Amino acid sequence: MNTEDTIIRVNNLKINITTDEGILTAVRGVSFEIKKGETLGLVGESGCGKSLTCKAILGINEPICSTEGQIFFDANNGGMIDLMKLPPKGNEIRDIRGKQISMIFQEPMVCFSPLYTIGNQINECTRLHITKDKKESKRITIEMMKKVGIANAEKRYDQYPHEFSGGMLQRALIAMALVCSPKLLIADEPTTALDVTIQAQILELIKELQKELKMSVLFVTHDLGTVAKMCDRVAVMYLGKIVESAPVVDLYHNPQHPYTKGLIGSVHKIGTKRQKRLFSIKGTVPLALNLPPGCSFYERCDCRIEGVCNVKEPEPDYIADGHVVCCHAVKSGLRKEVKNFE
Amino acid sequence: MSDIILEIKHLTKQFTSKKICVKAVTDISFNVKKGETIGIVGESGCGKTTLGRCIARGIQATSGSVIYTAEDGTKYDFINIDKKTLKTIRKDIQMIFQDPYSSLDPRMTVLDIIEEPLKANFPKMPKKEMDQRAMEIAEKVGLNPSYLKRYPHAFSGGQRQRIGIARALVLQPRVIICDEPVSALDVSIQAQVINLLKDLQQDMGLTYIFISHDLSVVEHISDKVGVMYLGKLVEFAETERLFSNPMHPYSEALLSAVPVADPTVKIDRIPLKGEIPNPANPPSGCYFHERCSYCMDICTREAPELRKLADDHEVACHRAEELKLRGFSYEQEQAK
Repeated sequence: MNTEDTIIRVNNLKINITTDEGILTAVRGVSFEIKKGETLGLVGESGCGKSLTCKAILGINEPICSTEGQIFFDANNGGMIDLMKLPPKGNEIRDIRGKQISMIFQEPMVCFSPLYTIGNQINECTRLHITKDKKESKRITIEMMKKVGIANAEKRYDQYPHEFSGGMLQRALIAMALVCSPKLLIADEPTTALDVTIQAQILELIKELQKELKMSVLFVTHDLGTVAKMCDRVAVMYLGKIVESAPVVDLYHNPQHPYTKGLIGSVHKIGTKRQKRLFSIKGTVPLALNLPPGCSFYERCDCRIEGVCNVKEPEPDYIADGHVVCCHAVKSGLRKEVKNFE
Repeated sequence: MSDIILEIKHLTKQFTSKKICVKAVTDISFNVKKGETIGIVGESGCGKTTLGRCIARGIQATSGSVIYTAEDGTKYDFINIDKKTLKTIRKDIQMIFQDPYSSLDPRMTVLDIIEEPLKANFPKMPKKEMDQRAMEIAEKVGLNPSYLKRYPHAFSGGQRQRIGIARALVLQPRVIICDEPVSALDVSIQAQVINLLKDLQQDMGLTYIFISHDLSVVEHISDKVGVMYLGKLVEFAETERLFSNPMHPYSEALLSAVPVADPTVKIDRIPLKGEIPNPANPPSGCYFHERCSYCMDICTREAPELRKLADDHEVACHRAEELKLRGFSYEQEQAK
């Protein structure tokens, strides 16, 4: 693969959290890369380590998380820097964080400080990274607020977060993330807290701005509908590992890993004839404490192979162009004919 | 029509404080047949939850009535009956709540939680029989009866929602109001709970009013769907009819905004102008006219009534007959 178009490459990222009951292996060797201008979707259920992975890229995880691995980021066109080697409070990472990589967080209502005006909070970013001139930074901020569709931006600039509705706050948060024209945008469930109509507006807005600013986007969500709409490639995470990654159409029409199949099968596709029952994955996601050896999906899997799946952890396996699966059953071809969920 | 179990007539709920009066639910009427599932959809703040709570008499409605037909055929007005009679029939209409994390008391064991409705309704029932019934119902919803001595914190989200369902079912109700029962759960767990609700409906002949903002879940589970906007019912029809042939511009816009879990399906979204108006100060005429792209002069002046058109398709729009609105085409899907 040509490294020149790669904006970020995460290599074998591991995050452990020490708790009273033992070591929680939250992220267990995640690797992926994102090309320039591409959108990668990171899908998984709660607790699978999506958010920790995102925060690790920015180096903003809590100190109790011990992180290993490499995160190469193309900071100055061609020269890849390992973000993990930078001190988390040093000037270099501060220069990248917010300017070159920025993040949209999950809940707009808790991300803003209620004590400062919206304009003031977006401005912080501009003043840090672009210009020290107050008038100029205000002008840039207001321009960005207009761009994300906040009507009456001059007046809104001096308002406080409680005067904004949820959708408007999310727009302000996007303005804050995009005001420095980052190369990589991390969107961590940017629309889960919003209504469908507003969700659609925000998603279209991110897409438009992505084209305009030529950003790459890491789009984190558990909603398979938004992924289908937004992403070029998708990586499915389960219990801290990427179990399958593929181009988006491939993943939806030809899923291979039993977990991916289950996930897609358990969502009713709107506008199709009603099925009698939804497919459901049995059991629940186990806690990542003291995990047994072998495949972490073993307990819930329909096509597990005893003596193989519960002994050795499956390795990633290229099955088609850009389609990678971690599964013994898929690899060995021993897989029982898996039910068609469509 | 003997199989109608609930008749909701002109139900209205106003919340008043010193100066403002918010009409959370305005003049809603529809009928619910026995064994049916009615889906109620709408955006946050449109009054879905208030409607559900008014029907179950969790909060007292301002006006209107909910006529409930009991098993022996007697009709009661659930909203206006006196407390004594209410006590005897209240067990027939139960609720399942949205958030399984905050709707269970952390200081009660799961057994106590499931038994509490029994204690309230049958104070003379011996403890042994209560335990027996709680165990049975726990098994039915897929909880291991040996775990019932534990406290809610020991359970995952999906299991907690099962506890909530068991608590609603232990009184053997006939109608269950499900207020966003799956929106707090993960995708794979959502499917489990939805399947459970469907199985229980078949086994016990339950009637559901299913409130949700997730249109794909509602499409999957409901027989009929009502769309709410700013406290009013704007459209009410059979699920497939409403999804394939919406007649209210708001329903059309709502349907077009849903992301479909298939990357090859591309839907042009119908943009909605502006935001949901403040319910304390609703617009004149049709509440939707400011955001509607088909708005005419009459819409700004007169509020449309909910009218019954062909095939029991009810819609509140002045232009319902002339507009050709876009929904999902089922035929295309089948042809594929």
